[in-house]
Amino acid sequence: MSVPLGYYLTLGAVLFAIGLCGALTRKNAIAVLMSIEIMFNAAILNFVVFWHYLHNGALTGQVFALFAVAVAAAESAIGLALVIAVYRHYRSVNVDDMRTLKG
Amino acid sequence: MDAIFQLLQNSGAPMPEWLALALAILLPIVIVMGLFLTVFAFLTWVERKALGRIQNRRGPNRVGPVGLFQPVADGLKLLIKEDIVPGAADRVVHFLAPVLVVVPAFLVLTVVPVAKGFVPVDLNIGVLFALAVSTASVLAVFMAGWASRNKFSLLGAMRGVAQVVSYEVPMVLAAVVVLMAAGTLSSIGIVEAQRGWCGWFVCKPWGLVAFVIFQTCAMAEVARTPFDLPEAESEIVAGYHTEYSGFKFALFQMGEYVAAITMGGVTVTLFLGGYLGPGCDLPRIGWLVSAGWFFAKLGLVVVINIWARGTWPRVRVDQLLAFAWKVLLPLSLINIPAMALWYFLPNRLIGWIASAALLAVALVGLTRLNAGRAFEKRSYRFIS
Amino acid sequence: MNIAFYILAAVTLLGAALAVSLRNLVHCLLALVLFFVGVAGHFFLLRADFLGAVQILIYIGAVAVLILFAIMLTRNVSGTEGGGNSLGGAWWFGAGITAALAALATAAVRRSSLAATLSSPVTEQGIVKTMGRLLVTDWVVPLEIMAVLLTAALIGAVVVALEEDRKS
Repeated sequence: MSVPLGYYLTLGAVLFAIGLCGALTRKNAIAVLMSIEIMFNAAILNFVVFWHYLHNGALTGQVFALFAVAVAAAESAIGLALVIAVYRHYRSVNVDDMRTLKG
Repeated sequence: MDAIFQLLQNSGAPMPEWLALALAILLPIVIVMGLFLTVFAFLTWVERKALGRIQNRRGPNRVGPVGLFQPVADGLKLLIKEDIVPGAADRVVHFLAPVLVVVPAFLVLTVVPVAKGFVPVDLNIGVLFALAVSTASVLAVFMAGWASRNKFSLLGAMRGVAQVVSYEVPMVLAAVVVLMAAGTLSSIGIVEAQRGWCGWFVCKPWGLVAFVIFQTCAMAEVARTPFDLPEAESEIVAGYHTEYSGFKFALFQMGEYVAAITMGGVTVTLFLGGYLGPGCDLPRIGWLVSAGWFFAKLGLVVVINIWARGTWPRVRVDQLLAFAWKVLLPLSLINIPAMALWYFLPNRLIGWIASAALLAVALVGLTRLNAGRAFEKRSYRFIS
Repeated sequence: MNIAFYILAAVTLLGAALAVSLRNLVHCLLALVLFFVGVAGHFFLLRADFLGAVQILIYIGAVAVLILFAIMLTRNVSGTEGGGNSLGGAWWFGAGITAALAALATAAVRRSSLAATLSSPVTEQGIVKTMGRLLVTDWVVPLEIMAVLLTAALIGAVVVALEEDRKS
């Protein structure tokens, strides 16, 4: 593997930016959650990239990435449950419709 | 694959590196796919004949001698049928779903050692890769049901997803026991750890229980009878592949059947000793003998599958899920300490007895707990 | 072996770009699955085999199905998938900000001295074994906390999404 580290970091940064764009511009709440998943995965990719290039024998980067994957899965589960609960109340998953705190 | 690459590089033939690489990648793919497609075709014939005999009829016997060319006839028929796509269906998803059902089935074959020294890629996470990829077919089932815009399809797809997801957990836990014993995730490592007299993991008490659990869950994963509720014809009009015709339907059937064969291959690798058997270490023809052993064991597992299909009725969906969560999951969890007892007790005989006793108690206890009420005896009255 | 990196990077970028821009939510989900496959491929390329298998198992096997169920359960009653334009008003503002962020990050990466590091060949054979040992010796506390977190998240998700049709 003779790809320099910078290429991978650029890839991670661009993926994160794409996810951020989705999270900021999409109307549907589930699409926003999908974009957040993209951001999560870009960050985890960054961890693994740094582990591969600079690890000196330690496996800490991979272990951290494993925990990050677990946390991301838990977060997406709760996020989607919240979206379903909100849909039941508002009958819509448009983020523009969820403006008031009062139910 | 690496071995082929090394062989081509060191053979001295004037071959550029990219060509050697391409050949090293393509050759195992072609061999494995060709081999297992032939096995698939042959096994469909075996299944139809065996089911026929179980049901007191002969099975296909028109096409070719004893109906041997029936799979060819089936394939040709499905190829030339008209491909109907419902008007309201989501075309892209409807098209991709059969493909995504077939791909994981074949992808798992990359880590199944077919003969001694013959595995396409020897990943050091082989078994984890096999289990992970086989769970990726659940998405394709849901896509198929969703894209058809048909309530029966959606219902079948939901049941299919619930079934696959529920039976994944005991399957992985049953595989965990084997991994504890072998100490490695590589499939060749697991096969080599089963050498020796009575070395196959199915000969040990925890191994037997884990084999039964794994094979049951594998049958449920690929939705074969008695777990074929998602695609039952008398229940929900063929479920999630109602709206498929022609070659896409053939792809669904092929995906399901090849997945059954593939999970049989994984079962053989994990529990039945893979390609091991007397004569597999002979110097020159050892690989052929080991391939023979592997296919014999695979045939045994598939015959058990077919036998179960012909004998047992379909289970209801709530019985299905209750069986997974209330019986198989606790049993596979109790299997893990049973294996630990077998492994760590100083006296081997005490270890065998202790783990067998624990498993027997667990089995009896679970069946007692899940038994439900016994019905009182019926009395009939004749009105004459 | 650089070609593998470029192919996988193209697949990943395509998946992410389609996932944030397609109109039909189920098509977005399929693009997201393509993105997950690309990331898993990158993990395998970076010799983090265990993490690649975990990525396939968790993301494609579970999270994608979860998102699919959520899409199915929150379909708009009027029948159209997500309305006309998938992007809200002032989408150019969000796109502009993210383009600026991407440019900034790329410039920062290019300027750093670390960016030209080439990889040392990973010669560890028993990565999974070592990781298993690490998880129960050095990192056992985060592991247990993770188990508690996942249980709490699961129970919380079930409670939140439960139908409230019990009139108390």
